[in-house]
Amino acid sequence: MSLLLMAPALLLLLAVFLWPMLDYAWLSLQAQTVFTGLKPVPVGLANWERLLGDGRFWQDAAQTLRFAVVSVGLELLLGLAIALLLHQSWRGRGLVRSLSLLPWALPTTVMALGWRWILNDPNGPINGVMQSLGLPSLPFLASTQLAWLAVVLADTWKTTPFVALLLLAGLQMIPTDLYEAFALEGGRPWQGLRRITLPLLRPYVLIALIFRLAQALGVFDLVAVLTGGGPASSTETLALYAYLNAMRFLDFGYSATVMLGMFVLLLASALLLVLAQQRWRGARP
Amino acid sequence: MQSAALGGSEPGCDLRPAARQAWFAVGLGLGLALALLWGGLAWAGRPTTVRLLMPAPFADATAELVESFNREHRGLRIAVTRGPFETESVSDLAISSLLLGDSPYDLLLMDVTWTAKYAAAGWLLPLDDWLGPEPLAPLVAGARAGNIIDGNLWRVPMVADMGLMYWRTDLMAAPPRTPTELVAISERLQRQGKVRWGYVWQGRQYEGLSCVFLEMLRGFGGNWESSGEGLGTPAATKAASWLRQLIVKGISPAAVANFAEPEALQSFEAGEAAFMRNWPYAWQELQGPSSRVAGKVGVTMMVAEVGEPPAATQGSWGLSVLAGSRHPAEAVQVLQALTGEASQRLLVQRWGYSPTLTALFDDPALVAERPLLPILQNALESVALRPLNPGYAQLSDILQRQLSSVITGELEPALAMERAGRGSQLLLEASGRGSEQ
Amino acid sequence: MINTIASGAGPTGDLRLEALNRRIAGRQILAGIDLAVAPGECLALLGPSGCGKTTILRLIAGLERPDGGRILLAGRDITALSPGRRQVAMVFQSYALYPHLSVERNLLLGMELRGVPRQRRQQEADRVLSMLQLESFRSRRPSELSGGQRQRVALARALLRRPQVFLLDEPMSNLDAQLREELRPQLRAILCGGEAPVVYVTHDQKEAMGIADRIAVLQNGRLQQCGTPQELYASPANLVVASFIGRPQINLLDRGDGSLLGIRPEHLQAVEEGGVAVRVLSREWHGASQQLTVASPHGDLRWITSGAEPINDQLRLGWQLQHEHRFDLDTGLRC
Repeated sequence: MSLLLMAPALLLLLAVFLWPMLDYAWLSLQAQTVFTGLKPVPVGLANWERLLGDGRFWQDAAQTLRFAVVSVGLELLLGLAIALLLHQSWRGRGLVRSLSLLPWALPTTVMALGWRWILNDPNGPINGVMQSLGLPSLPFLASTQLAWLAVVLADTWKTTPFVALLLLAGLQMIPTDLYEAFALEGGRPWQGLRRITLPLLRPYVLIALIFRLAQALGVFDLVAVLTGGGPASSTETLALYAYLNAMRFLDFGYSATVMLGMFVLLLASALLLVLAQQRWRGARP
Repeated sequence: MQSAALGGSEPGCDLRPAARQAWFAVGLGLGLALALLWGGLAWAGRPTTVRLLMPAPFADATAELVESFNREHRGLRIAVTRGPFETESVSDLAISSLLLGDSPYDLLLMDVTWTAKYAAAGWLLPLDDWLGPEPLAPLVAGARAGNIIDGNLWRVPMVADMGLMYWRTDLMAAPPRTPTELVAISERLQRQGKVRWGYVWQGRQYEGLSCVFLEMLRGFGGNWESSGEGLGTPAATKAASWLRQLIVKGISPAAVANFAEPEALQSFEAGEAAFMRNWPYAWQELQGPSSRVAGKVGVTMMVAEVGEPPAATQGSWGLSVLAGSRHPAEAVQVLQALTGEASQRLLVQRWGYSPTLTALFDDPALVAERPLLPILQNALESVALRPLNPGYAQLSDILQRQLSSVITGELEPALAMERAGRGSQLLLEASGRGSEQ
Repeated sequence: MINTIASGAGPTGDLRLEALNRRIAGRQILAGIDLAVAPGECLALLGPSGCGKTTILRLIAGLERPDGGRILLAGRDITALSPGRRQVAMVFQSYALYPHLSVERNLLLGMELRGVPRQRRQQEADRVLSMLQLESFRSRRPSELSGGQRQRVALARALLRRPQVFLLDEPMSNLDAQLREELRPQLRAILCGGEAPVVYVTHDQKEAMGIADRIAVLQNGRLQQCGTPQELYASPANLVVASFIGRPQINLLDRGDGSLLGIRPEHLQAVEEGGVAVRVLSREWHGASQQLTVASPHGDLRWITSGAEPINDQLRLGWQLQHEHRFDLDTGLRC
């Protein structure tokens, strides 16, 4: 009976998740390229061999991971700060709360174009300020050291509101009488943050972390518009690489292999996260 | 509407839910049948529609042509889909629809670099049997290349496009001819405080970088062969090295590593630079009201070493009929109209696009109206073609990646070019189009 | 042993509230509240919801600040002190246990915050855990406890605070009726009679009478009467107190001279002659007692009597003069 009730959900899961995965797995064993006239030709594990030896795949994997970890980390810190601020009551809070959602509501491509202009060297507003202060303008998007930070910055700007909102919802779930009991016992507000707020916010942090990591590891449109993966492919992500292989190079077999490789890495990092979470749980008496 | 009226036409009648559903279904069915009938009748009386996907700028430029075509042809209608602005986004849109099977378009305005790829993918209709003998004969020589691949004609060019060097007539008597001269003049003008930068170009990691590089590769005596080879050569290293040195010497800003055409134009237009590499469209912009260099701009070919002919990378946009078109004859008719003399004349006069027909370059009245035409014609004589390989996008990607590393100082030019050469070689071998074949 | 734990760390003394006022958004929540609670005494704040009784508790705790008046604890003016420096312990209606900590950690946290040495923390916690029979639950989370167990943990936490005053905000409201009856004497034994005053907020007059030494009845932010349960029962100061104390509610008869006559249902008795003739409307038989509603010329009356009392149709009810209460019809005051 319960199986029968679950059947529609299982079928849906099968349709939207498992089927494409199997399709990709099959495709990764084919050469289906512009050179084969887009017809699949079985090639065994050739695509996978190529993947293992593809320095670009691994470079992109490292870059994707670096981007995800740094931007999600920043988003959590900033999101928490903003959530704490919005949780207090002050005049104009409602307005600020609505306004702070704006970046999240903006389409990524529009936002990325905006940042491309803001970070423009030498005509963007940031460099305009730098120059008026007598400082040299910075080639944000033309330097391999700065460009990835620019991508992190843009992503943080866009998705921090999402994290903040999620954490704000979490904060609102914490009963105020816990803080009152804590205060009566002699606890100070900053101690309350560490002893009550953070532990009770943990499930929300975890949800934000999983959502954001999954999104950040699959980041595509932001990078495609802001930097196009350059300079010197220093901001290229795995999703962008998979896209290039499919849509530009018409190499569908390898694109599927890159996607699956990316999925394997994603799964591995999710597993690591769960393990870390369990240790975190276990470390507490 | 129909079904709603039927289903609710019995006020006060207390139907049980099942009965009501049955009535609803009957009503819905009747309504659908009527709609289909009406639609079918309307369909039969409608003219054949030829659907055409173009990048936004061309959709705007041809709007007038399309309108008059539709006015003159009773049974035939052109419906233009205004695509995105960026070249690659248009390709993405087209490819997405083509991959889904039934393309909604009959015609596609294609960049020259797409042709080999689309033809190999089987998406294009060979035009040989549809057009008269020697359909490319009326074109200037430089515009003919890139349309016939593996013996078939896949595309007819509508406008030509080529890389040009813009220079400041108020700052020098004559433009530089060699790379060394360009550097020397730039340094002098910068020293004198006349300009902030010497030379602005397209250094972003994208197709434009490959175009810039090809001109310099030719200028240093190398070539990017039609097969895709020629990157791992000393000439390639020289060209890459020269581009890098422009930044090191401060002739080009470090930001050039993120410049596409608009950024270069913006800088040159503001009077910041002595030289700019760009396409013909820039000429019109530079004469506009926002330009600080209007009337002070000359156009010439890219610099080249002594003894090497200067090169202009061929751009050009042309029309192809998609293999899945249900109206190929009508599509060809539209293709001929839009690439014909009257159409090209209007595109030159009104929008400043470069024609491809010899007749227009030779028309004294048109030349008088558009003094740039002889320079464009000259550039078309020494046009440099990017490899006509189905894997071109990937070849170019390999090159862009290595070049971008050179320009940002990540890699030594020799090493980068060696990698580019090896990368292309591997790709060509894997695709069965390597040199050993 | 109980008393040594319940006693505060500092000098103990009585709690005094002087002319407390509280206004929220222009609305008068409390007006001129004067109260005093002696060490070891248990004062119940009784009144309907919204009467201001919880606000009084929060003012004493320092969770809210009064708009006027003073709070004195053991002779010290604590009106301006932060909650953490007042040495008060509060048992919340929800118990406010830290959901992410085990029972033991819930108890240890407060002492840790107050800088109690680690070894003593453990000793104290162990002592209270054993006293309240919580030892076997020490490593459970609050969510894994029953309502009664949670209340004991909250109580344990309050005891460990070693406060100068105990505050309890409807601590029984989340428990079922039977458990409430059981716990009342326990709660009294643990908290009352020590050296700290106890303030107990409830809306249940039965609970207030069962646990408190004195009861303060509140309505609309004003103190109606404060006294022992017996005093409130025997001589309610006004109509509010008269109706709030005693179940079933007191019968009020209009005498037609601008005053009301109050007579409690249990003080009515069947008489052979005199009194008033009544007709039985409804009857609930409870075994030892029975409760009736009867119609009289003065209106319907509630009557409670022995379960053995025979009821016949020709019924007359009377009462003794000493059981009469009189209230002014306009002011509601006893007269």
